[in-house]
Amino acid sequence: MPESPDAMMSPIPRFMPLPGTPPLVEMKGIAKYFPGVVANEDVDLTVMPGEIHALLGENGAGKSTLMNILTGIYQPDKGEMLIDGYAKSLASPLQAIAAGIGMVHQHFKLVQAFTVAENIHLGWAETPIGASAPVLEARTEVLARRFNLETRPSARVSELSTGEQQRVEILKVLARKARILILDEPTAVLTPAEARALFAALRAFVAEGHAVIFISHKLEEVLEISDRITVLRGGRKVATQDAADCTVKGLARMMVGRDIVLADMRARPQGAGPLAAMPVLALDKASTDGSGGAVALKDVTLAVRPGEILGIAGVAGNGQRELSQVLTGMRPLSGGQLLIDGQAVAKADARAFAKAGIGHIPEDRLKSGLAPALSVAANAVLREYDKPPVSARGMFSPRAALALARSIAEAAAVAIPDFAMPVRNLSGGNQQRLVARREMRIASRLLVAAYPSRGLDVGAINTMLRYIVELRDAGAAIILISEELEELLNLSDRIAVLHEGEVMGVLDNDHIDIERIGLMMGGQRQADIKAAV
Amino acid sequence: MGPYRLQRFPSAAPGIALLARLGAIVLALLISALVLALTGAKPGALALQVVTASFGSQFGLEDLGLLVTPLIFTGLSVALALKIGAWNIGAEGQFYAGAFAASAVGLFLPVAEPLSLFLMLLAGLVGGALWILIPTLARAYAEVNELITTLLMNFVAVLGVYYVSTGPWRAKGANSTTARIPAEIPEFFGSLHWGLPAAVLLALLLALALARSRFGYEVRLAGSNPQAALYAGLPARRRLIAVMLAAGALAGLGGMVEVAGTVHRLQGGLSNSYGYLGIMVAVLARGSLVGVVFSAALMAFILNAGIILQTQGLTTSTVLAVTGLILFLTAIGDELAHYRLVRDARA
Repeated sequence: MPESPDAMMSPIPRFMPLPGTPPLVEMKGIAKYFPGVVANEDVDLTVMPGEIHALLGENGAGKSTLMNILTGIYQPDKGEMLIDGYAKSLASPLQAIAAGIGMVHQHFKLVQAFTVAENIHLGWAETPIGASAPVLEARTEVLARRFNLETRPSARVSELSTGEQQRVEILKVLARKARILILDEPTAVLTPAEARALFAALRAFVAEGHAVIFISHKLEEVLEISDRITVLRGGRKVATQDAADCTVKGLARMMVGRDIVLADMRARPQGAGPLAAMPVLALDKASTDGSGGAVALKDVTLAVRPGEILGIAGVAGNGQRELSQVLTGMRPLSGGQLLIDGQAVAKADARAFAKAGIGHIPEDRLKSGLAPALSVAANAVLREYDKPPVSARGMFSPRAALALARSIAEAAAVAIPDFAMPVRNLSGGNQQRLVARREMRIASRLLVAAYPSRGLDVGAINTMLRYIVELRDAGAAIILISEELEELLNLSDRIAVLHEGEVMGVLDNDHIDIERIGLMMGGQRQADIKAAV
Repeated sequence: MGPYRLQRFPSAAPGIALLARLGAIVLALLISALVLALTGAKPGALALQVVTASFGSQFGLEDLGLLVTPLIFTGLSVALALKIGAWNIGAEGQFYAGAFAASAVGLFLPVAEPLSLFLMLLAGLVGGALWILIPTLARAYAEVNELITTLLMNFVAVLGVYYVSTGPWRAKGANSTTARIPAEIPEFFGSLHWGLPAAVLLALLLALALARSRFGYEVRLAGSNPQAALYAGLPARRRLIAVMLAAGALAGLGGMVEVAGTVHRLQGGLSNSYGYLGIMVAVLARGSLVGVVFSAALMAFILNAGIILQTQGLTTSTVLAVTGLILFLTAIGDELAHYRLVRDARA
């Protein structure tokens, strides 16, 4: 008999602390100031044993700073911290780990070239001196079984899926006897099934009297997993509430200070013409080799017309990266054809694609969309540096570059104190907005947006999706790669499902059956599903 | 805990960074003085002697200028390659290759002096560029680490120049040098020739060109993040090849200027390790091409001090130790410049 999702969630008994038990963590009146920025002020946070406590807030609301204080990376400028009821100052991450506080960052901090076992034992006092690989792997196996986190101890981290890498990160923290586990957007990279498994593991963890601090932007998920929710806004605490008393709408309002409506955005503006018949860009049985053991594309056939949003659904790591690179001229085809306006394009040339009006919001903005160490201005002009006014006859005008950067920042509604500062100093959300606006300027024909809302909060996601709709209404074609089904359903005219580099089928977004998309994400072809029904 | 404490900031204020650098240099000199005092020397008297010998006479200033010139060229060579993310450890070899090519033209091509100088200049540029050609292509097309290949090419060049200057090209009656090269770079201040102003001008022009050209933007982007260069679709490989060849040409030009302006002969040991010191000059300049001029001047002063100290019976290792100490303390100073004293709000 198939298990229903509900049956998987509830059976673990809740841990009930004895009356009078002090909170595991109590932060009181925490303040942290950076030059010109109030990162935290007067923030209280109490986490009880046995509790999953969600920390909710927009980008820049101060969640990361607060957690950096709790994990000893920053020292608070004001306020005090009590661990198990005793005042404690955590001067370094090592002291925080010793106090039982462990964090799994959104961007994993694993050594790619090391095996799982080596990563687990790296920089750990309990690692036996001179231990051989089999010993480390056996120890890892034992740890994995104890914490019920399945891993492959001898596999290199670079070979693992993101979900597996996350389990390694969590195992690493738990092995160091963490009692307070902090997770920064843990489900952003997981499949629904992996997320369910994670939630079950977290429930089991807190059932032993430990606690989890769960940072997320996904409101439904926060309601599902957490016991209490603390909302931050502008560095200050808005409220702490029992999850049972919260609604998605209420939380969204608390986060952004206004009502948010996530709704069907497929409606075309009045008077918009019918979709043109000729696709802007089409793939015909396109194949490509993967890099580093990644999934390659196999016989992908897709087309997108002007004014249309084509959604690409699928679990991350099933060829999305390769697809977006092929679509933007960054990766050559090993077979099949790519056609722009019906003309076959022989050579993958990112600059030529950009010149042809194809913009690209890459999935990893800091790694490939930006040069983190260069100035905001230099990054803002990345797409237009080689044409007037920024460049003329080989000369580059810093003044024109600054002017263009200013207008992009203004359109993106990002306040930038100093355009000469490295772009990595901006928050992730602001980087994403800048990249989006920069790409929208050149995406007159097609925008390839890979996970445009990943890592953004509700307010920023809405802004981002509004950008995309705006561009579609202006007549550009959009290819939206996302792992948020809701987002895809809200925006896309059609949805293609990718699995292991192959298109399982393309569905029209009318009365779409989510169950069917799920099956296709899992590797079943549209045709087979129809045959079975 | 006191009312003040240190806090690390993501970027260092320029004033503090400069102060930290000066502090590091002063501290390195003080430590050296202390060690010298412990060995029985009189550091105060030695220091006075170094300063008066360097700055107190025209001879001293000339010597200093002659040392700065090649260091600017090799420093620029390393700093330029770093702009696109390549480590040119081979400036030493390119310096020799440039000197060799220029000497060949100067010795064996019987043309009038201005033309000869011009042809020597071209030969120096081409010689240096050729010497980095193989490492460049290996890096651009096969991702072979240029750090090792450029280093290995040095030994070939150094030994090659030793061979020709003691063998086939040896002048009659000389042990280990070629005949005097007839064409000379004109002098303007004692023995100081126009190579120095040319080097300074070159640094300024290069810095300006990188900041104000499309090419320069592409170099900075490709050097800062190759992934972003791929994303932007800019011809990163072509830029890498161009910049590395230019870096080799700069070091080669330094070699040409050295033989045509200062030494007037090709000989083994022509380069006073200028190529390797160029790495330090570039690192001290923190990626600034104009900064290379200043760090080269500092390095020249230290080298000059070493020569003076040698006449006082100290070994050349002293100089190596002092330069090492300066680099070490500068690295610490650069990091410390990120910290500022802030009022502790908890108190």
